[in-house]
Amino acid sequence: MPEALIDKTLLEKLERLTVHWQKSLPGLVGGHNTSRFAGSGQEFLDHRHFHQGDDLRAVNWRAYLRLEKLFLKMFQLEPRIPVRVLVDVSRSMETGALPKFDYARKLAAALCYVGLVRLDSICLQPFANKLFDSFLASGGRHRFQPAVNFLSGITVGGKTDFLEIAREFVTAYPQRGLAIIISDFLDDSECEKPIQYLADFGHELILVQVWADEDREPPWEGELDLEDAETGMRAELSFDSGARSVYVAAFDTYSQNLRRVALRNNGRYVGLSTSVPVEEAIFGPLVRSGAVQ
Amino acid sequence: MNFLNLSLGELMGLVGTISAAVVALYLLDRSKRRQLVATLRFWAPAEVRTELKHRRRIQQPWSLVLQLLSLALLLLAMAGPRWSGEDRSSRDHVLILDTSAWMGARSRQGTLMDDARAAARAYLKSLPSRDRVMLVRADALATPATAFESNRQVLEEAIRRSQPGASALNLEQALEFAQRAQKLQSLRAGEIVFAGAGRVPEEDATLAAPPGNLRVLAVGAQQENVGLRKIGLRRSPASPDTWEIFVAARNYGVRRHDVDLALQFGGAPAGSRRLSLKPGTEEQITFTYRTRAAGWLEARLNARDAFPQDDRALIELPAQKPLRIVVYSAEPQLLRPLIAANPHVNAVFEAPAKYDPRVKADIVLLDRFAPDVRPHADSIWIEPPSAGSPIPVRAVRSGVKLEQWRPETTLGAGLHTKDVQLESAEVFTASAGDIPVAESAEGPLVIARPGSPKIAAIGFHPARSSMKYELATPLLIANILRWMAPETFHRWEVQAGTVGTVNLALENGTDPSSVRVLDENQRPLPFTIAGNTLRFFSGAPGTVRVLMGDRELVYSLTLPDVADAIWQPPPNARRGVPRTSGQNIRPRDLWPWLALLGGLGLLVDWLLYGRSRVFRLRAGQLAARAPWRKAVWSKAS
Repeated sequence: MPEALIDKTLLEKLERLTVHWQKSLPGLVGGHNTSRFAGSGQEFLDHRHFHQGDDLRAVNWRAYLRLEKLFLKMFQLEPRIPVRVLVDVSRSMETGALPKFDYARKLAAALCYVGLVRLDSICLQPFANKLFDSFLASGGRHRFQPAVNFLSGITVGGKTDFLEIAREFVTAYPQRGLAIIISDFLDDSECEKPIQYLADFGHELILVQVWADEDREPPWEGELDLEDAETGMRAELSFDSGARSVYVAAFDTYSQNLRRVALRNNGRYVGLSTSVPVEEAIFGPLVRSGAVQ
Repeated sequence: MNFLNLSLGELMGLVGTISAAVVALYLLDRSKRRQLVATLRFWAPAEVRTELKHRRRIQQPWSLVLQLLSLALLLLAMAGPRWSGEDRSSRDHVLILDTSAWMGARSRQGTLMDDARAAARAYLKSLPSRDRVMLVRADALATPATAFESNRQVLEEAIRRSQPGASALNLEQALEFAQRAQKLQSLRAGEIVFAGAGRVPEEDATLAAPPGNLRVLAVGAQQENVGLRKIGLRRSPASPDTWEIFVAARNYGVRRHDVDLALQFGGAPAGSRRLSLKPGTEEQITFTYRTRAAGWLEARLNARDAFPQDDRALIELPAQKPLRIVVYSAEPQLLRPLIAANPHVNAVFEAPAKYDPRVKADIVLLDRFAPDVRPHADSIWIEPPSAGSPIPVRAVRSGVKLEQWRPETTLGAGLHTKDVQLESAEVFTASAGDIPVAESAEGPLVIARPGSPKIAAIGFHPARSSMKYELATPLLIANILRWMAPETFHRWEVQAGTVGTVNLALENGTDPSSVRVLDENQRPLPFTIAGNTLRFFSGAPGTVRVLMGDRELVYSLTLPDVADAIWQPPPNARRGVPRTSGQNIRPRDLWPWLALLGGLGLLVDWLLYGRSRVFRLRAGQLAARAPWRKAVWSKAS
């Protein structure tokens, strides 16, 4: 039952939302977002000269009678593009008093349900240092339960490697689409370049950065023996309130860089703390960012 | 110096425990907290890391030493040390304050109690402030007023509250108590100080084993006093209207005294006598006073002496109520010797024709006469007619031999006859509860029926039969009257005495189970009976009643118990208030300086080590080496 991740009340609220993308991506007819591609849509888009092989049903015969030239009417296409939700399952997602992994799964389930309600195809793709087995959810809201089962079944493990992920993603999914990445983006390597790489490949990006409060503002003080959850590396240092403010500033700067990368590529960025309930996160920051409307 | 009543060793142990806790907390504070984090990229650069192998080592020993030193100084400050050149050890003294009755005697300035209080206060002031003192109030009992106390205000207040009691001083008991207290409760025994007049009973004038650390603060030299020792009253056995009064007076002084002793009953003079008392002697004077009324008898000695409290005694006398008997007889001259001979009885003789069942009498005697309506009062029936007898008459016989008396009953107590042949006698039928007193072979001849009213029936005429020559006849009448109105025949004795232990000689054959000792609130007092002596103790002035069958003794214990002798302290006992050596050297308190130094040490530690650790991270090292500026994050090694 979906109640394991999202309760029924929230699902009812989610039904009025739509996954929204900004790019005009090619795809099958039947989507709900407009695109600049012409096709067999309902809305008039433009005229162009008639070329051999064009469908005679689209010729503007009124213009031909006046101008004695063949013009073809083009209609706006509303394509159905693939939506891919990438969920970070690396070990760093397990840290914090409120684990980010559970939070990410709930977010993914919520977005999946929003897409299914609009008959979109949602691909749930777990990743860490590679892409794990994915799940394609499509066919309406009654297909939501298998998606929940899939999300409930995935486990945490591995170390984040965005560069490898980007490489595998563009290989596995050549069709451009909407890529929603739910992660803490705490990769030891730079993750800006791999994200840029995905954008350059034509995917529209929605970066959802999830953090625990301890990730952004550690509450501890004194002598600390720190262990990296993913690599097991350790560092010993002294920490106090002054150092904490420096730490927070560094974290915020890192998040700003992620936002900059997303916006630069016509994508969107949403930063969420696990202390914020999932419902508030969806109807607050996610809606405001335009990822769902 | 004291620290919460801890010795120096215990104080050092406490300092050691706290120091160990501080070291443990120090190491715990310096040890590193292990924490799992999502990434290390935002944390401190390698320059502020410390090596793992040093985590249990004291890394800032001077900081720890400074902290321990500061804490030790603060603890010493709490101990309140003082600086002076004197012996620092404190001692525990026991101050016995005489609160016996004699301490209420006049002195040149107030009373002896005032002098003893002043001496006790002077002794307290002579002691070093660190010494502890236990105040014990001593009269017949030794009562601790305080524990071992160093607070002089508490002791002063306890001294101020001490008042003369009513009993004599039991000095031996007080000294034993003081020695025991020093042995059990004191850390270092000091002196046992006695402040008082030391007037004790003759047998305690010289103590067998006085303590070696005794000091005496004697007050009140030999005081002249003449006082009442005891007053005893009892009704004369020959005449119940007459009180026999015994007064004992004693001269406690060393000079001969001529004093007037006056008695007053209900404010009216009842007698007086001039006494000439030699030193240390006691004289007893006897008075007789005739009265049936109740009232207060006052005995007063007109002596101007140091102790007026024992010059006056007051005793309440109970009323003497006669037993009223109405005799209905056709031959009153036969019964008059039997009835009227009893001094407790007021007998009225009437003819049977004048019988009134509601006549005002305690007892009605019916001589061979049975009225239609029985009397409402207790009644004695002599040869009642069979028809109207209250106790059924079984038969009337001639030549009846009186076989036996029943001496085990109250009515038959002390009755004996031998070979008594009654010319004519009625034999009664006893019912359940009836008490046969005299019996023939056929049945009871004298029988009593308890209840209300009481009835006694005699089957023969005591003055007409052969019984008129027997001694048992008047005794039988007396027994019947005593059984019917026992309160009339109570033997009253009233004594005014001194509080304390009272010894009372019991009559032979007194049943110990019938003895009761009650205070003025009718609550039983504990007592002992050893042989023929009853002993009880009353520590406070009041009235004590001793009930023994038909005998009642009333003790009005209102006279103060003034002992006979003056205690002579042993020659080796120290006397007087000690010299106040060392008191002028005012000890200087060191705790403010120690507290200041301790606080200063903690402040220096915080400035040198506490803040510096904070500064180390604040020095901008984090900002200068922000990890996200590196192309690749390098792990700590």
